[in-house]
Formats: sequence, structure tokens, C-alpha cells
Amino acid sequence: MNSADQSHNFATAGLPAETVGDVHVDHPRMTARNVDVFYGDKQAIDNVTLDIGEKQVISFIGPSGCGKSTFLRCLNRMNDTIDICRITGEIALDGQNIYDPKIDVVPLRARVGMVFQKPNPFPKSIFDNVAYGPRIHGIATSKDELNDIVESSLERAGLWNEVKDRLHQPGTGLSGGQQQRLCIARAIAVSPEVILMDEPCSALDPIATAKIEELIAELSSEYTIVIVTHSMQQAARVSQRTAYFHLGKLVEVGNTDQIFTNPQHEMTNNYITGRFG
Amino acid sequence: MSDVTKGRISPDVAASRVAAGLAARRSKEKRFQLYGKIAIGIALAFLVTLFVSIFSKGIPGFFQHYVTLEVTLDRAKLDPAGDLSVQSLYDGDARGVIRKALYEATGASGRSGRKAAGKIISGGAEQRLREAVLNDPSILDTTQSMTFAVDDDVDSFLRGFIKRETPEKDRRINDRMIGYIDTLTEQGLISFQFSDYLIFGSASRNAEMAGIFGALIGSILTLAVCLVLSFPMGVATAVYLEEFAPKNRVTELIEININNLAAVPSVVFGILGLAIFIGIFGMPRSIPLIGGVVLALMTLPTIIISSRAAIRAVPPSIRDAALGVGASRMQTMLHHVVPLAMPGMLTGTIIGMAQALGETAPLLMIGMVAFIVDVPGSVTDPGTVLPVQIFMWADFAERMFVLKTSAAIMVLLAFLILMNAAAIIIRKKLERRW
Repeated sequence: MNSADQSHNFATAGLPAETVGDVHVDHPRMTARNVDVFYGDKQAIDNVTLDIGEKQVISFIGPSGCGKSTFLRCLNRMNDTIDICRITGEIALDGQNIYDPKIDVVPLRARVGMVFQKPNPFPKSIFDNVAYGPRIHGIATSKDELNDIVESSLERAGLWNEVKDRLHQPGTGLSGGQQQRLCIARAIAVSPEVILMDEPCSALDPIATAKIEELIAELSSEYTIVIVTHSMQQAARVSQRTAYFHLGKLVEVGNTDQIFTNPQHEMTNNYITGRFG
Repeated sequence: MSDVTKGRISPDVAASRVAAGLAARRSKEKRFQLYGKIAIGIALAFLVTLFVSIFSKGIPGFFQHYVTLEVTLDRAKLDPAGDLSVQSLYDGDARGVIRKALYEATGASGRSGRKAAGKIISGGAEQRLREAVLNDPSILDTTQSMTFAVDDDVDSFLRGFIKRETPEKDRRINDRMIGYIDTLTEQGLISFQFSDYLIFGSASRNAEMAGIFGALIGSILTLAVCLVLSFPMGVATAVYLEEFAPKNRVTELIEININNLAAVPSVVFGILGLAIFIGIFGMPRSIPLIGGVVLALMTLPTIIISSRAAIRAVPPSIRDAALGVGASRMQTMLHHVVPLAMPGMLTGTIIGMAQALGETAPLLMIGMVAFIVDVPGSVTDPGTVLPVQIFMWADFAERMFVLKTSAAIMVLLAFLILMNAAAIIIRKKLERRW
């Protein structure tokens, strides 16, 4: 249908009309129903329905340009900053539609935090980076409380021991992996419910990547995490559920073990075995 | 067979063909570099000519001739009322006191002799004497050695611009005066000193008393008004257009107009200021307030355009980061984007200010070209600015005005260089890497 006017016709042939696998979970934190996203006339997401389970890690995989990052950015309305972006369907956080005109994006983004592909600490001190969110939202009521929030956030991000002696040095002076953990600390400092991670390790070396993956595993006991990744090994290691996107469609979703050992759809199978993508 | 070899060139042939073209390529590159060097050379030659011409006239312009006299400060003559009030000093005969000292030093006698000797000293000498008395009344009724500027014609003679050989009728100082000047020179009373009149004096018809102080203060006041108006307005406009304004016909039109505004001849802004502020609002002429407003209109496009470029240069990842933790758009702007764009904004502002400092035409339109002796004390006092002062001096024929014009140009250039250097330093200092 809509995907027919896309250029990669060779790959659209096998797209399923409906997502394969169970899109629903027992305790969803976020629910997306029939979501379409358009950039101007171009459709980037086509009728995606998906539940994101509470305190679960779900990974989005798929070839470049398949819409996984676009869909991720819909979950905290980061796409609002793009003028030509239009979204239909419903995305709900705890049963409340986040695209309701009455919803303010500021508290929404405090509840659904985000970590980006490229580490992007503010050109401020390490302390100020982490303290920024709590400060603007007025989360800490005293200076001591703010200090505690910064310390515990850095601790949970596994960075405290490395930076405790130089909290007032610029965050941009850290290594890439440390910067990304600083960004994670910054995200969790505002006590979000959901953390969105857009290829958080793509700019990092294997050792830094391993640290972030460990961190994701630890954080999943407290937070609902959605991670977009190009590394299938990473998806297999960190997530409980995996969703495979292709050309704006959600092709298949299921438990990570099942997706990687016994994919139901042929395209998923082709992708995870490295035949295309 | 032919299919396979068609379009394939053996590596040897390819290498030889590359080698054949290499010499031409190199000489082309050499020639191109030469053109560039010639262009820079010509530009430098012009610059050097300009600087040599300005400096050769300007540096002597910073100095002028003074005469030192033993003045007997007779209280009865200087302060007839005896209360040391300004009025009393002006009623007193300061001129007579100075002349008396001058006649003694030169030995001038007789009516025509005294007349000639009196012309040697500047008309500003009396004022000097009164100021000295006001500053320190204890010098009254004593004899003090005091230094006064010589008249500009005498200065020109001492500099050699007026020749002794010229027939007496054709020169501005007669033989008698030359005789007195020689007498003073022999006694070592004539000195060539740094000209305090140039720096601390104001507009004057007497070349030896003319100075740039009034114009300098006028420039500072005008620029202050200009900065206070144009910087916040320019930055706010840039932030709004770049981050908040919807992209539609109206904002597009505004954008085009701002860019066009940057290219409007400055004299047009002057006419606008004349028509609106003086014509419609009936504000007084020649005041730095209107000058500043007019220059602000002229500087605004520069500041807006450079501020927008600076905002656009802030990486989107910083915006994402701020929005991602839940900062509102305004918080993202004020906490992150504007501080990061500030070096660029300041650079644009300083360059805009430097332009405004050198601007003449719009200020002529609003009457800042008037002859004003008083130094402006506030933005609503009539005044003039440095470039306009230079413009006015350039109109006078006296040799000394030519020198002082060049000296004033040097002062203006020094300020421009200072401002541009400040722009560079700010950019280097505040530049952040991310």
C-alpha cells in the first residue's frame, strides 16, 4: 500500500500485512496503537502497534532507515521539534495519551528520558550536567538533596568512582564511554519511568560498550528501557523483547530468545542471519 | 574481445598520460598562486601607502609648539572682585598679564611691536591662566613660569611651512613677529611638546586649540545608546526568528527585509532619523541620543544576521540533550543555545559597533555636524562624533588642522583596531569545543 511508493521495492515484497508475534504484554508501561508518522509526504512509520512492558528492556532492530529511531523519538515527542513531522494513532504512557493536546511535553520528557547516539554532555561541569534536570524541574528541595541526587545518579550510571574527584571539571573532558554514562546519569537524575536509548553504543569502543550494556542490565530492574541498536549481539545480550522494523513497518516482535533462535517471519530470519540489512 | 578491452587503459599508458599533463597542472597551480600573491601585494601596497600618509601627517599632529613665559600673577589685575569667582576672573585682565610677560621676554615695544608680539600667543592662553589660578589660588601675586600654546600660524612657521624667504606681504606673519620668535627661540623658551589641546580640547576655530575630546565623548555616548538598543533587540530578534517563529510567508518576508536592511546606504537611515525623530517627534538636533538610535537601526541587521548564524552553529545535539531531560524550549534557548552562541553574537555586535563608530553620513543628516565647543555631558546634550569631527576639520585650510585631522584619524583607527581586537579576543576566549 503506502510502502509501494518507496524505492526499495525488492525488499517490500515480503512485508507482512500484520505484525508477526505478540505485540501485547501483561503489564505495559507504554502502548502504541496504529501509529503512522509522516515527514512531509513521506511516510516513515506505517501502522505500528506495540506494547512496552514495565521494567523490561525492549530492543528495536532493523536496517538503516527502517524507522526504528523515528518510532523511538515518538515515545517522548522529540519529533515535535521537526516542523514537517506529523503523527497519527495513539501512544499512551500509563494509559494516558501523550499526544493529547492537554499534555505538556515538559513533564512527559521528565518521565520518559532519552540517551542519544552521540554522547552529548552539556559543555558544563560534570556536576551541572547531572544537576541540570533536577534543577529545572525543581526536583531537589535543598542543596544537600541535589548533591545526593547527583551522587546517586552517577553511582547508578557506574561513573561515580571515576569522577568523584573532578565533579567540577567539564563533562566534555571525559572519554566517549564516560560521556555516554554521564548522559545516562543525566537522564536518570530526573527519576524517569522510561529511558529511551538511541544506539547508545554506536560511537563507543567495545570496552565502553560492555560497560554500558552491564549498566542497562542493572537499570532494567528499576526502569523500562527501550533501546535502538544496530548490533544484534547487543540486542540479544541486553533485551528481553526484540522488535524488528523494516521500511516503517513493525515486521515481528517477540521474546529475544525466540526472535534470535526461531524467527517466525522470513525477513526477520534473513536480517538476523545477515542476509540483508 | 573488443568488448572486454574497450574503455580499459593499461596502467603504463595511464601513468604516462598522467605524467604528460602534470607539468601543465603544476604551472596552472603556480600561476593561480601568483595571482593570489599579486592581489595581496597590491592590497598591502595600498594599505602601506594609506598608513604612511596618515602616520607621516598624523604623528606630528600629536605635537605642537609652546612658549614658556615668566608670568607675574598680579592679583589686582587678575581678580578685580577679589573673590576668586569665575566671573571675577573673566572680568580681570588675564590677557594683559600674559602680554606683559610676552613683551618682557621679546623686548617688544611701541604700538606695532606690541601688536605683533601679541599675535604670537594662542587666544587660548588666557583660559589656561584662569584655570591655573582657579586650581591653585596660592600662585596669585607670585611669578610663575607658565607654558602656553603658540598661535597656529607661528606653529606653521616654526615647522617650516611658512618660509622666511617668502616676501613679507605674502606670508601670514610679518618680519617683526619673526624677529620676536627668533628672540624667544634663542632664549630657549619655545618648546615642541605633546599637544594636550588635541586630546583634551574640543572643537575650536583656532587650530592650535582644537581637540577631539568633545567628539570622543560624543562618540562614546552615541555608541552606548546604540549598543543598549541594538544588542538586546538584535539578539532577541535572532533568537525568536531562529527558534520560535513559524516558518511562513510573514517570517520569510521579515527575513528578506532584514537582509535588505543590511545593504541600505547609511545616509538613508539618517534621513529616516531626521524625518521621524526630529520631524515628527520634535526631538532636538545634534544629540547623541538620536545619533545612537539611528546607528542602532543601522547596526541591527548586522547583529541579527551574525547572531542567527551563531545560533545555527550550536550543534543540534545540545538542543536534543536539553529537550531530552525535559527543558522547555525557552530553557533550552536561555540555558544552552544562547550561552554557546554568545561569542558569535558578541563578535557580530562589536563589528557592528565598529561600523557605527566610523559612520558619518547619517549623523550629518541629524545635525551632529554642528560646531559645538562644549563637551556633551549626557545623551541629550548637543555633540558631535569623531568621524564627523574629522570631516569638519578636513574642510579647514589651516596647516595645523591638516595635521590634527590626520592625528584624529589615527585616534579613530586606534579605537577601531581596539574594538576588532576585542572581538577576536572574545571569540578566542569564549570559544567552546563540543
